[in-house]
Amino acid sequence: MRFDVYTPLLLSLLLPVISPAIGRRVAPALAARVLTSAAVLTAAATTWSLVLLATALLGDAPPVVREARENGRPLADPVPEVIGIAAGVALAVVMWRVHRAVRAERGTRRALRRLCAGHPADTELIVAASPVPQAFAIPGSPGRILVTSAMLSALEPPERRVLFAHERAHLTHRHGILVTAATLAAAANPLLGPVRAAVTFLVERWADEQAADSVGDRGTTARALARAALTAGRARPACALNFTDRAVTRRIAALQTPPPPRLWSAAAAVLALGTLPALLAVDATGDLFGLLGSVLA
Amino acid sequence: MAGTDSRGRVERRSAGELESEVLASLWATERPLTPAEIQAEIGGGLAYNTVHTILKRLYDKGLVLRDADGRRGAYRPAKNAAELTAEAMHEALDRGPDPIAALQQFVSGLSPEEERALRDLLGRGGL
Repeated sequence: MRFDVYTPLLLSLLLPVISPAIGRRVAPALAARVLTSAAVLTAAATTWSLVLLATALLGDAPPVVREARENGRPLADPVPEVIGIAAGVALAVVMWRVHRAVRAERGTRRALRRLCAGHPADTELIVAASPVPQAFAIPGSPGRILVTSAMLSALEPPERRVLFAHERAHLTHRHGILVTAATLAAAANPLLGPVRAAVTFLVERWADEQAADSVGDRGTTARALARAALTAGRARPACALNFTDRAVTRRIAALQTPPPPRLWSAAAAVLALGTLPALLAVDATGDLFGLLGSVLA
Repeated sequence: MAGTDSRGRVERRSAGELESEVLASLWATERPLTPAEIQAEIGGGLAYNTVHTILKRLYDKGLVLRDADGRRGAYRPAKNAAELTAEAMHEALDRGPDPIAALQQFVSGLSPEEERALRDLLGRGGL
C-alpha cells in the first residue's frame, strides 16, 4: 500500500516525457490512440490513488486507533495524516478541474449546434460568409464541415479537396472524442497536459495523412496547409495570439517525408505505461480495504 | 492541378462530397458560374450532367440561386444562412479561447519567420 499508492503519481510523470517522441516516430493514428488510452488510464489511477490516500485518514480516526490498540496490535499508520489531508485537497481541486472541463466541452457543443442552424440537415458543407479564414469539423450525426468564404477563396480546387478530406477524417475517426478524453485526463491530472497537447497535434497529423491518401498526393496536401496557414496568418496579427507553437510547419515538414511506421512495440510500451498505474491502484485498494478491515473487525 | 486526377478517383467521391465541392467552388469566386465553368474548375473528369444534377439538388435545398440578371444558366451561392453562421461564429470567437479554439481548426497561426519560410516554399514550388 505504502508503495503502490504513490507509484501511479510517479508513473504519470513518465508519460508526458515520452509522448513527444512517440508523436514524432509512430504513425499518428496509432500514436494518438495509445497515448489517449494511456492518459485516461493514468488519470483514473492517480485520481483513485488520491481517493485512497484521503480514505486512509479514516485509519487515524480515534475509534479506529483505539480499537487498533485494544486488539494489542500496534497499527503502523499507513498514511501520514498530512498526506491524507493533502490528498483530500488535491482531490477537491481535481473535481473542480474536471467539472470545469466538462462545462467547457458542453459550451463548445452548444456553440457548434448554433452554427448549424438554418442549414439543410443533409448537407456536409456549412459555409460561413466571413472574411476570417477558418475551417473546422463539427462532430455529430451527421458530422459537418464549416469553412468560411475567405478560406474557400484562398485555396485552389485541389487544395480545397485536401481541406475537405482532412476535416472528413476528423469526423470519420471521431477525433473529437479522442481529444475530449485526453482533455478530461489532463484536467484530472495536470501532469498529463503535455500528453493532451501531443494528442491534439497527432489528430491533426492523422487527418493530414488521411487527406494525403485520399487526394493521392502529399505535395498538394502540404501546399494546402501552407496556403491556409499563410492566409490565416495574414488575417490576424501574429503577435496578438499565442498560437505559434510551430504546429503547422511541423505538419508540413512531416508531409515532406514518408509517413511514419506503425511501431507496435512502442505502442505496446505506451499502453503498458498506462496500464501499470491502474494495476498498482487496484493493488493499493486491496491493501487499504484489508487494513481497514483488520482494524475494524 | 485540376484535371490530372484519374476518372476512377472522381467516381470514388460520393454525391455528398461532390455537393460540397460544387458549393465550395461557387463560394470561392466573386462571380456567378455556369455548370461548364464549375466542371472546368473542379476537373477530374467530372461529367457535365453530374455537375448539373448536383446544382439542381443544391438549388432545391436553397443553397444556391440562379443568377437572374446575369448570364443564363449561371449560379451563385445563397448568402442568408451563411451570414447568420458567420455572425454566430464571430460571436463564439469573441467570447474568448473557448469554444472555437478548442476545436481542431485546419490551421493555427504563424510566427513571422515561419510565414517567410512557407511563402518561399509556395513561391518556388518546392512543396
